[in-house]
Amino acid sequence: MLVAADSTGKTRISSSKPPHSLWKEIVRARWSYLFIFPFYLTFLIFGLYSTLFSFYLSFTEWKGLGPIKFIGLKNYISLFKDKVFIQSMENGFLLFFMYVPLMIFLALVLAVILNSKHVRGFQFFRTIIFIPYIMNIVAAGFAFRLLLNQKYGVVNNLLTGIFNIAPIPWLESVWGGRVSLCLLIIWAWLGYNMVIMLAGLQTIPSELTEAAMIDGANPVQAFFYVTIPLMRPVILFSVVLSLMGSFNLFNEVYILTGGGSMNATITPFVDIFGQAFGNFRLGYASAMAYIYFIILFILTLFQVRYFGSRVD
Amino acid sequence: MQSGALDAFKAQYPNVEIDYVETAPTDMYQKLPLALQAGTGAPDLACVESSHLAQIVALGGLADLTTQVQPYVSQMLASKWSDAILDGKYYAMPWDSGPVVFYYRRDVFAAAGLPTDPDSVSQLVATWDDYLNVCQTIMTKTGDDCFANNKANNYGRLYEMMLWQQGLGYYDATGKVTVDSAQNVATLEELKKFWDANLLSDQLEWTDGWYAELAAGGTTPVATVGPGTPVPPTVKPVASLVEASWMGAFLKGWIAPGTSGLWGVAQMPAMVAGQARSANDGGSNLVIPDQSQNKAAAWALTEWLLGRPDSQVAIFKASDFFPSLTTTYTDPIFNEPDPFFANQITRQAYIAAANIIPVGYVYGPNYSLMNKYVSTAIQKVATGAASAQDALTEAANSIRNDTGMP
Repeated sequence: MLVAADSTGKTRISSSKPPHSLWKEIVRARWSYLFIFPFYLTFLIFGLYSTLFSFYLSFTEWKGLGPIKFIGLKNYISLFKDKVFIQSMENGFLLFFMYVPLMIFLALVLAVILNSKHVRGFQFFRTIIFIPYIMNIVAAGFAFRLLLNQKYGVVNNLLTGIFNIAPIPWLESVWGGRVSLCLLIIWAWLGYNMVIMLAGLQTIPSELTEAAMIDGANPVQAFFYVTIPLMRPVILFSVVLSLMGSFNLFNEVYILTGGGSMNATITPFVDIFGQAFGNFRLGYASAMAYIYFIILFILTLFQVRYFGSRVD
Repeated sequence: MQSGALDAFKAQYPNVEIDYVETAPTDMYQKLPLALQAGTGAPDLACVESSHLAQIVALGGLADLTTQVQPYVSQMLASKWSDAILDGKYYAMPWDSGPVVFYYRRDVFAAAGLPTDPDSVSQLVATWDDYLNVCQTIMTKTGDDCFANNKANNYGRLYEMMLWQQGLGYYDATGKVTVDSAQNVATLEELKKFWDANLLSDQLEWTDGWYAELAAGGTTPVATVGPGTPVPPTVKPVASLVEASWMGAFLKGWIAPGTSGLWGVAQMPAMVAGQARSANDGGSNLVIPDQSQNKAAAWALTEWLLGRPDSQVAIFKASDFFPSLTTTYTDPIFNEPDPFFANQITRQAYIAAANIIPVGYVYGPNYSLMNKYVSTAIQKVATGAASAQDALTEAANSIRNDTGMP
């Protein structure tokens, strides 16, 4: 910043000092700045510019080609009447409550078991549980579709053959679709969360659990009253990630259910993608993205505040 | 494109190099619009399905072909042009059409005690109500499902064919949304009779269960889907399939080659006796992006492939893509019996269907959006979650809200 001439020399000196030293600082560390410059370049183009342009687009009607028509708040007003968008938000919450508690709990239990030195071949089991995470979700989605086919799928054939249960419409009903999606997500993401939990467990000194056991706690009590409270920050981390994850679900939905049946599994991300690249309504999709961003931002803030205050 | 038509073109135009790239449809409809928007990266010539054509034409960025296509306007099936035209200008050259016919399994019909020759079957399924009765007979006699139509994930292809055959669609000639019109509601209610009667297989089109039921049974010791995937013996065949002419090539080529000799082609049922027993489903076109530096060469190739009866017949012979170019219909190839269809001369049935395709209003610039809302409505009706009137009214209101159409 260049400093304008002031009435007194005194203020000029004091106000010109910080920018001067900032510039000096940049010159002094010019090589460091040069090396981190590529990040800022890509951030400016692909991060900041596109975010701001998308904000501008949210007040317009644009097919992606041709003139951009400014329409004020019309997109935002139609959004509140858009049943699919509202449903996609509800689905985000529903899916979050359906799979996150179960997945985090399973991840924690598995992590505790596999963290124990008494389990034979724990590295083998860790690897097995982690493999789905690195597997291509498109291939996995197709496999799940075959397994869950109502009439010919292996899952229903087993259930009918062994337990004599009537074929379950896994992908052919509203709740079946949601449950199937949760199964796929838990299958794919359990290993990832388990590794986070394992990392957290390794920071907990084993003396604490041992002390509890000496005082007469059984392993289950030690798990609930010692391990879980100490793991709270790690659990919070996983829950926050999963919250964003369940609204951001795309590949899993796109491959397994396509958002059906009757939009029961459509997530905001899938809906925004469809409006932008299926229907070419880029202005509307931008408005959706901003509303979605605001809601997610508030939710995350709330979560961090609520859980964060209890950490210590 | 394994027809030799490209090689013939190369011999005629040795200075034109062709780089032929096959792309999956979903990739195509994301990459082509992006390339048109970016102004760079599009091919010199692209194949676009009729269902997506109007949307891409409306997007802009395609070369105006009005003068080039003039000689062909009267030679192509009339139903092909509406999606290629915007504000009186032509932006695409029609390739193949999808005249809809009635495919049926002769073995299943015989087992149900029904006639199996195409003419009798056409009479048997004169209307959708007649078809319902036939389905009931088949279910009672053989226990086979009549056709596959998924309830919970239905995406509306059959419903669209039923609208098209009545000259209806999602909007009318004046651009008014007709999704909730009395005729559209009645059409969906007709389809609902089939779901309610439990006569259909609940397989989603283009998934493995669907393929298996089309490939089931047959004369070969082990039925296979395509070259080699065995169909479990417990899978029972479906008796019929209302679909466009390209389906015959798919059945023969890769879905159910083991069922050779068992299929027949009749006319699709009408909603009311006397109405057109034909519709269109799918079909494709060639477009030239305006950003192309080789428009003259691209048009030369387009004209060579799609405007010359020789090329169209050669492509038809190789791939069974039914030509929109009506001057080909006199070629002897259209009189050849097809062993896959028990030596029926199926191509005459396709011509008969193609010649009476009504002008429909199913596709158009907002097709993908309309199809999405209507599919949800169909799913609700099929699963009993809503009545046809309520579901379609809701879909129509959403479409009006999103598109601003009246």
